[in-house]
Amino acid sequence: MKLLPTACPACNSQLKAKSLICAHCNTEIQGEYELPVLTRLSPEDQSFILEFIKSSGSLKEMARLLRLSYPTVRNRLDEIIERLKKTESPEENNGKENL
Amino acid sequence: MNEIVNNTKTLPRRSISQWLFNPFIFVAGYQALLLGLGIMLISAFIGFLGNTHFDGVLDVHKGLEAPLWLFLAEGIIDWLTIAMPLFFFGLLVSSSSLRMIDVFGTQALARWPYIVTSVVMLPEANQRVGAYIIFRLTSTAASVTIDYMDMLIFIFAIIVGIFMSVWMVALMYRAYVVSCNIKGARAIVTFIVSLIGAEVLSKLSILLLFQRL
Repeated sequence: MKLLPTACPACNSQLKAKSLICAHCNTEIQGEYELPVLTRLSPEDQSFILEFIKSSGSLKEMARLLRLSYPTVRNRLDEIIERLKKTESPEENNGKENL
Repeated sequence: MNEIVNNTKTLPRRSISQWLFNPFIFVAGYQALLLGLGIMLISAFIGFLGNTHFDGVLDVHKGLEAPLWLFLAEGIIDWLTIAMPLFFFGLLVSSSSLRMIDVFGTQALARWPYIVTSVVMLPEANQRVGAYIIFRLTSTAASVTIDYMDMLIFIFAIIVGIFMSVWMVALMYRAYVVSCNIKGARAIVTFIVSLIGAEVLSKLSILLLFQRL
């Protein structure tokens, strides 16, 4: 599966979705849509967050599964939180339901 | 769940150098504390056999015969005097939610190079060369004679001892960075301040213990 591009290859600005298509009936919707914040993270970060949720948010469980120490996993989560904070723009702070 | 375990990009590389210079990526908490306490116990026992005193966070000296509890106490004092200020700075500087057990556990584990130091300091040749140096520097000490082999063992112990001390400090720093999630200049400055404070405090505490003997 192709990775979703989130940054402009020319100027590195945040990309927006202009068109959405139904894979079943080919209905196409045109517009300007913000990408959800989580999609702007790297695939590794997204995978980490998904597994974190599947582990019921337990860092201990994550550490056990990854065979890493608890602080290493916690530090990784803190780094992702920092990246999320930087990624969020002011207009998205008003519409966090997209998350 | 296997997906994340197999996703190598999410995992730090498990190399020998990681285990040697930053084992805290893989081991922390109670596991590190138990290993660390075991390491302190072994170092103290070997130290007791060879009269090698760890009389300060970074100090290793050949010294007087003493009961085993004193060697154990030296190790515990060395560990606590560095772990306490690092935990304090961690609470002060880090934005992460720290666990005390991680800071104290990883600092205990970071002392493992001193097992090697206690072993290389074990031969009596080190004691003889130490006494010889005192004899040459002061006129008050008793006359001591040494041979080339004594000197060779002593030089080897000094080189290994210095190398192990540097290694231990590097491990202590990495343990601090991982357990408190502090990086850059803040980590370096707070670590150096803690190390200097711990050195002074541990020397004074151990000195007080010696006076009680």
